[in-house]
Amino acid sequence: MTLWAENRTRAQNREAGDRLVNRWIVECLLVVLLPAWLTFSGCSTHAKRISQPRNLFYDGQFQACRESLEKLSKSHRHDRDVVNLDLAVVDLLSGQPQQAEIRLRDVRDRFDHLEQDSLAEKTVSMWTDDQVRSYSGEDYEKILLRVFLSLSSLMHDGIDAESYTLQVQEKHEQLGQLFDQWSGSKGSVYQPLPLGFYLRGVLREATHRDYDDAVRNYEVASSLLPQSEPLLWDLARVREGVHSRPGHGVVYVFAMVGRGPYKVEVAERPTSDALLIADRIISAVGPYKLPPTIAPIKIPDIAVPPSDVDAVGIRINGSPIGPTSSLANIEQLAVSTYQANRNAIIARAVARRVIKKATIVAAKDSIGKDGLTGIGMDLAGIAWEASESADTRCWGLLPKEIQVLRVETPAGEHHLQLNALLGGRPVGPAQAKEIRVIDGQNTYVLCWFPDARSVSQVMSSK
Amino acid sequence: MVRREWLSRLSIVALASIAGCRGYQYGHVIKSDAKNLVGSHEAGAEVFDPLVDEAVAKLLARQQIVTEGCPTGPDGAPLRKTICFVGIENKSAEDIGDFKDKLYNQIDSQILESRSFQPISQRMVNAALHETRMRPDALVIPDNMRLFTSVLQRSGAPVDYLLYATLTSGTTTRNSSTQRDYELTLELTNVHTLEYDKLNAEVRKGYHKSAAGKFWNYNPLKR
Repeated sequence: MTLWAENRTRAQNREAGDRLVNRWIVECLLVVLLPAWLTFSGCSTHAKRISQPRNLFYDGQFQACRESLEKLSKSHRHDRDVVNLDLAVVDLLSGQPQQAEIRLRDVRDRFDHLEQDSLAEKTVSMWTDDQVRSYSGEDYEKILLRVFLSLSSLMHDGIDAESYTLQVQEKHEQLGQLFDQWSGSKGSVYQPLPLGFYLRGVLREATHRDYDDAVRNYEVASSLLPQSEPLLWDLARVREGVHSRPGHGVVYVFAMVGRGPYKVEVAERPTSDALLIADRIISAVGPYKLPPTIAPIKIPDIAVPPSDVDAVGIRINGSPIGPTSSLANIEQLAVSTYQANRNAIIARAVARRVIKKATIVAAKDSIGKDGLTGIGMDLAGIAWEASESADTRCWGLLPKEIQVLRVETPAGEHHLQLNALLGGRPVGPAQAKEIRVIDGQNTYVLCWFPDARSVSQVMSSK
Repeated sequence: MVRREWLSRLSIVALASIAGCRGYQYGHVIKSDAKNLVGSHEAGAEVFDPLVDEAVAKLLARQQIVTEGCPTGPDGAPLRKTICFVGIENKSAEDIGDFKDKLYNQIDSQILESRSFQPISQRMVNAALHETRMRPDALVIPDNMRLFTSVLQRSGAPVDYLLYATLTSGTTTRNSSTQRDYELTLELTNVHTLEYDKLNAEVRKGYHKSAAGKFWNYNPLKR
């Protein structure tokens, strides 16, 4: 009996000692971590970090923009890939297509690697936020990445341009298969980006031999954009005609028009679909049920800047040729991709909140909820939830639309004039470029008109 | 107690997550005698390699017979006829992507290795197409053919034959299984006499939504 009493006293002492140690650890953590949390988190998102470089870019201050992006790439590891994409656009438009190609290749390989799921990152994100997950790019970004690779290649030597257009098709096939698996019996159809098919058609037509490939690719592009008249002209030409008449060459103007969409953080009330998905996540890891009400949570949303440019008017040697026509509506793509993923994003945020709350309650229960410790733990819980931010990473320096104009012209030197248009009327000053057209070959011109006031960039292939 | 369980479960999930890391990609060199991968959605090397081998072998065998009695060189062997391989046209249901140029090179190389023909360099063919601005399919018109061959002749490459390759396919579907018959046709036109010869090779392939599809549709008991 005495032995039993001694053992019990020892056990009680040990338990009290453990509790003291636990409390001491928790209090230390609160003293150190709480200010750190409040200082460093809860306000920093990619959208906020990227706003300054973006403004510099649209002001035409490429060097300052590059420095700012490079600094961001070093300071925020998880932003590195999307920052590299923005840097590639800066390189491309500042006349360094080779450097842009290197960066884009690097991000392409990284995204391919990151497409595999990481359970570790998924778990950590449930305790922190979605920003700790590696970003493998939205579907349209993966396609555009390869399109930009083709354009970068065409802007210097063009050696790898065909390979990149094949990679666009390969990616389309892969995404289409994934989409079919995911959508199952929903009956929705994967919509590829017409621009990739168009580029492949352009390159195959330029061989003067593989018109059948050009027909195939223009047909796909035309079926995706049935309203596009220039695509029908292209199709008619490759079915019956030839690339260009003897002594003539072709100029392709790829115009990036408007400021593209980007992600911002918003507070959102969970939808019933999202709550259903969240409930499944919660039930999978513990005995808790989803609370009937959930306060608004932070999620990303798509911001679309207003645009006062809708096309680019082209003149060659003073003669009007016509406006560019759209082959990729990036704004529409970004919004539709976001809408498709929105419920899953909200569900993850809801599940995360429940897990955090449950963890705090469980910790309080095991350590003790009285006095300073209890208050401290509640504060820590609030700080923990407040530290959460929406994942706003995206390719931020994309245009609203990518448009194209094709014109056949006699071989030789030509004076090209480009003007931003709104409703068919010129807005802003015209940009000029001297180009050299080679007999039977393509000359590529790349330009960006973000709006009527911003500095426009025009460059041509060598 | 329940909450401790909750915490312990979460810890298990956290530990398990360490195992769920991303893998790396690896590559290896395939031995020349190893079997080709069989494409699950489209034709690949497993279809195109035998198609080219068979079609070119048939073409060369036929020409071996035709060349008997033809003019011979100082060594007694028949003079090699120059052949202009214009290109491959893909009329199949699939996009063959990077295989197109590979098929061209495969056919061109096999013809070059033979003793019957002397192929003209692809670069010269492309330059002639570029100069004349003619579509490959327009070369069968006699006037166009004459113009095209005269450009090549001027470049030091007289032409005896024009060669076209066409890839076609035919698709048969039965529920969730599909059979696709791939055919490579080689069309040879004598530019002097406008005589025409045609040879083809075929490979059939089945695509199934389930592993049992092959057995279900192609077992020996099925008639």
